[in-house]
Amino acid sequence: MTTAVHVPRINNNDDSVRVVRLMANEGDQVRAGDIVAEIETDKSIATVEAERDGVVLKVLCSTDDHIGVGSVMMWLGAHAGDPIPESSDRAGAALSAATEPTAKARALLNQHGLAASQVPASGVRLSAADVEAYISQSGTRADSSRAAWSTLPEGEAQPLTMEERAMIHVVTWQKDNAVPAYVEVEYDSAPWDARAAAFMAEHRLMMSPLLPLLAHRLVELARRSDKLNATIVDGARYCFRHVALGFTVQAREILYLVVVREAETLDAVRFVARLGELQRRALSRQLRPEESQGATIGFSSMARWNVSRHMPILPPHTAVMVAHAATRRGGTAVLGATYDHRVLTGFEVCRLLNQMTDAGDATAGRAPEGEK
Amino acid sequence: MTVSAPRDVIKAGIRAKIVEIAAGLGIDAADFTDDDIIPATGLLDSAGVLELIVWYETEYHVPLKDDEINIDNLGSINAMTNFLLARRAG
Repeated sequence: MTTAVHVPRINNNDDSVRVVRLMANEGDQVRAGDIVAEIETDKSIATVEAERDGVVLKVLCSTDDHIGVGSVMMWLGAHAGDPIPESSDRAGAALSAATEPTAKARALLNQHGLAASQVPASGVRLSAADVEAYISQSGTRADSSRAAWSTLPEGEAQPLTMEERAMIHVVTWQKDNAVPAYVEVEYDSAPWDARAAAFMAEHRLMMSPLLPLLAHRLVELARRSDKLNATIVDGARYCFRHVALGFTVQAREILYLVVVREAETLDAVRFVARLGELQRRALSRQLRPEESQGATIGFSSMARWNVSRHMPILPPHTAVMVAHAATRRGGTAVLGATYDHRVLTGFEVCRLLNQMTDAGDATAGRAPEGEK
Repeated sequence: MTVSAPRDVIKAGIRAKIVEIAAGLGIDAADFTDDDIIPATGLLDSAGVLELIVWYETEYHVPLKDDEINIDNLGSINAMTNFLLARRAG
């Protein structure tokens, strides 16, 4: 009986793999569990095992071939003379390698409504640089938008506002750059509530400073850690000189990320005042461009909508965006963070969150470490 | 709203805005009195108070400095009204 060794799916995003190494040749005897090939995607390497004992009747791929998930890599028989199915041609087993795009290239193709076959590849695979060069040379950005619309049900294209375009930039840039991940810790929110109430009474404030104080705590921790206030550029960690705290503000239908620049130079009182000023300017749509861009670290809360957990999107070139949520029944709350796993580990972010949840002792007048 | 609106009209306008913002949060603030301390009632959260302040600045053409935004000046409907009238008188 003849059986196929198929290309396994390694992850959901890759429909093809590259053959790194073949460990079995035609005529070789293999046993169930033997590794017959090594394959890779953009993200990982995996091995392919024989599922039964037998003889390799035919190998349908070569090293460096790009072959489709589910296609046949080789045929195994019980005996050397077992018949091989007639449709067993090689030619990369499934794909033309020259048109197979990388993950980044595929994202760009989708973004611009292009097909891989339209774009010449400069190497073995179609790269993001190939797609960018094609777009640049052919000036197809506008045309590609129309091409994208043409695939949708009938409708009407409406121009975006400046704020909407800015938000689209914020939420779409990261998929090709940062490697976002999320962790959270649970904590007793009462000490922080008490600290905010004491601060509010002391300074005769109109609004609870809970969120600004938490954000200021994040600033203080970022000031002490280069890695928190950093991103990755050209394979190196780029540590920002100043902390620019991005803070989400929902102003009616518009979501802003207002930015407190050089936040590390502000004590808690001045930070709360500055953030309040930016929030007012956002609500009255008077933000200047520099007040809503250039964040190096972020803070977001959805407690107002009684959301008990949320996973924010990383603003451009930030390593961490802390997510505050509503207190649950029983007095506990979740403090989470989306982070760029290229810059930080989950352990480091958990440590950050645990440091943030320390409210100090409001009744004894002790501020959390770092709050002035 | 005109700059010559009498005290009661100003107070009614502020109260109506508080009720509107609270309603957006699913809260009935119809019983809100002129002397209730706005942050202390819990009817408006921080973002709601912020929205009220921004509306107050715009509606009555009274730009506020940071150090003017405090509970003494704006803590209640009466305080907000008094502050507005004093600003106009000054």
